Amino acid sequence: MTLFLSLFAQILHIGLMIAAAPTVAGAMDWLDARFSGRSGPPILLPWRDLLRLSRKTPMTIESVSIVARLTPALGLGATLSAAALVPSFTLGMALSPLADVLVIVSLLTVARLAGGLAALDSGAAPPGLAAQTASARAVLAEPALMLAVVTLALMGGSLNLDQIIGQQREGLLLPAAASAVVMTAMLALVFAEASVPADGLDEMASGIDLAIVRMTAWLRRLVWIDLIGGLFLPVGMAAIGSAPQAWLIGLAVWGIKLGAFILGLCAIQTTLGRVPHRRLPDLIGVAALLALLATIMVLASAGTA
Amino acid sequence: MTDPILLFLTIDVIALLLLGMCAAALPLAACGFLATTLSGLGMLLCLPPLLMGTAATTLSLPIGPPNLSLHLALDPLSAFFLATLFLAATAIAAFQATTTPLTPVALVRTTAFCLAGTALSVLAADGVLLAIGLAISCGAIWLPRGSRLPLLIPLLMLAAVCLLAPAGFAPNFDAIRAASVDPNRAAVTAALTIAAVAGLTWSRPSEHCWTRDALTAGVIIPSGAYLLLRLITELPGAAIPVWCGFVLLLAGAAATIVEGWCAASHPDIDGAVLCLARRQAGLAAAGIGLALIARTADLPGAASFALASTFLAAIGSGAACVLASLAARAIAGSAGTYRLSRLGGLVHAMPATAIALAVGLLGLSAIPPGVGFAGLWLLFQSVLSAPRIGGLLFQLPIALTGAAIALSAALTTAGSLRLIGIAILGRPRTPRGAGARESKAPTRIILLALAGLSLLPGLLPGSTLWLLADPAIRALTNAHTGVAWMSPFTAVKGYLALPVLALLALTTGGVMLVSRWSPREAKATGPWTDGMAPPIGLPFGEPAAQSTGEGFLPPLPGIALPRRPRLPAFMHPRPPSAEAGPWLILVTFAALLLLLAMAG
Repeated sequence: MTLFLSLFAQILHIGLMIAAAPTVAGAMDWLDARFSGRSGPPILLPWRDLLRLSRKTPMTIESVSIVARLTPALGLGATLSAAALVPSFTLGMALSPLADVLVIVSLLTVARLAGGLAALDSGAAPPGLAAQTASARAVLAEPALMLAVVTLALMGGSLNLDQIIGQQREGLLLPAAASAVVMTAMLALVFAEASVPADGLDEMASGIDLAIVRMTAWLRRLVWIDLIGGLFLPVGMAAIGSAPQAWLIGLAVWGIKLGAFILGLCAIQTTLGRVPHRRLPDLIGVAALLALLATIMVLASAGTA
Repeated sequence: MTDPILLFLTIDVIALLLLGMCAAALPLAACGFLATTLSGLGMLLCLPPLLMGTAATTLSLPIGPPNLSLHLALDPLSAFFLATLFLAATAIAAFQATTTPLTPVALVRTTAFCLAGTALSVLAADGVLLAIGLAISCGAIWLPRGSRLPLLIPLLMLAAVCLLAPAGFAPNFDAIRAASVDPNRAAVTAALTIAAVAGLTWSRPSEHCWTRDALTAGVIIPSGAYLLLRLITELPGAAIPVWCGFVLLLAGAAATIVEGWCAASHPDIDGAVLCLARRQAGLAAAGIGLALIARTADLPGAASFALASTFLAAIGSGAACVLASLAARAIAGSAGTYRLSRLGGLVHAMPATAIALAVGLLGLSAIPPGVGFAGLWLLFQSVLSAPRIGGLLFQLPIALTGAAIALSAALTTAGSLRLIGIAILGRPRTPRGAGARESKAPTRIILLALAGLSLLPGLLPGSTLWLLADPAIRALTNAHTGVAWMSPFTAVKGYLALPVLALLALTTGGVMLVSRWSPREAKATGPWTDGMAPPIGLPFGEPAAQSTGEGFLPPLPGIALPRRPRLPAFMHPRPPSAEAGPWLILVTFAALLLLLAMAG
């Protein structure tokens, strides 16, 4: 029975993530416009875009290889795999034994790598330039993220995400100050990611491929939101082995957390503006330094404990 | 069981030496065939003691002065590294035998001598044989290129073993194990060993030589890891001071960053692959350093994780790096250049070679299910034990190492993306590149077989370590936790590569199925030139407009360094000429003898 429930929770979670990704993107666009004093597009516009793109005839360059044809699916598949491992409304889902924080980070890397390969395979200058820029940015951002999650693992004593969240729920993820510093680092990374301009990586995609590339980007943002929400605000999340009634509370709290996060992100973006492209490495560097500071704080507290 | 195996392995090594000596007199095809057969036989001979986990056995050779007869030994540690380097050498020799045009006899001789010398040094159970083996392999690689400084390496290793040996005894490993080792001597031994292994790994002549690069990746780097394990971890035992572990850890971490950066910015494909191989050496050194620190802190589990990552780094260097190196050679042979900015679009002309190169490079990157990711995961598992090691002064280098390894992983992924994206994908950048043709069938088979073999440790890291490295890890740490955490049969939550791959395949397959519901067929079109008309004479667009492989790394911040004061003209030292090499060796040898005499 427990196995059946965990499997059901897993399928429900994946379905919700797929459904929420375009909706969250639409809500962010709408909020962005509202904060700027415009009426804003419909919240469900991304869904309509997906349908419209999937009906269009895709154009492919004659010279591209099978890599360019496979990589959009690989990118979305890797992001979806990462999304399946990050819990949203309940812990103890069927795939929780695989939910290793390093695996999740590396699955997001696979998705980025797939996008870069597709861009370079096109043989055109703008996507190649975009792949270079994205790679240079990731050289700073990925170690920062990896260091942040490893710091949390140091506090939790395990790389398993469910165990880390479980310890955070119990208030055992100490010191709390280090946890707050890691959260700041991860928020800085999300802010940097949200400030990345449309960099031309999807310029060569069209039709259903473009729909897949866009869905990948939206799902990636949702994975980030879920990861931060789960790690630093695991309130209301149903515990391992809890009854489906507890899921309802978890679902409601998850919706509230999503709403609050996108509201906060849009408010910050409107107030502070997007980070200029040339300043992104500085912001990511600060995030990496914060993650390192948190690591040192954890070690220092372990030494004095 | 192992006694005859050790005897056969010794005969195999002697046969390789003979092959190296007689290569000029034999037909070229026969040389390649013999080298492949002898290497393959050596690998097969190593498998039974590895799989059955039999105890160490020794063999004494009645050669040398009284009380200084030569000793060979085969234990789980040496069997693992022998199997790794024989596997790499088999692939290299088979590639030499099948590639067109046929490899010159000098390179076949280099392969045979290098393999024989390195195998002898791994089998050696005393300092003299270890030095002889290293002298053969170093001479094979560096003497033909006029570089004599690496010939100091065997002397350094001989001095290291002599320092460990008890006073009045021959530099025999059994005698060292039986006696208690002075910590100061163990520290000097560690310093000499680190210097020798650094020299082995980082010496490189300026010109391109693919055989030397492949041998460095597949033979020299695993043997360097073996020497560090044997002389710093196993022989001195608990006598080794903990600061040696920190030196190895920080040096390894620094090497991973430097080599990762070099791999992501090197203009040539073979140079970038060699940098990736050297990064594996850095990872192995960091793992050994971490294992030493954990062992001193009485954390056998953490030491086991770190050692398991070292073994995976050696496998990665011996299989994935050699594969990438051979594929790079096949590409350069067909496209006429190693320069990245002159390659491109080879996935169409050389699909099998392109797949082999991609498998090798992605296997080294920090993405599942590659062997590189499994090693990274194990290293981070070991880093998680940092709070239990000493005070903040001890924990800080471990935390910095964690950050360095994360940065190095990102650099390696950027380097792999760059090499695959520029060399294999896109459009050809030169007419010669456009005219490249796929390698012949035997070469393709070798590359694809090695690709399959290099995928296995990434897909089944727990089983690979369990079968091949567990006895050695247990002998060094008295624990096999690092292996167990990758096995699907344990209750602990570890890294399970196959289920992760299955999840990735399932989701990707699902997306592909959904995308097939699209009612429209894709329409082919010409190259996208951003709305501009293609240049005159280039109807398919300007190939040079593609990325040339620069800009994959962030710009380094400009740091204003103080200007170096100018020295007077008479103080400018003249670089030593090649003729000074033998004198330098003699002087160093005399100094070492003096040191040994003073040490008693």
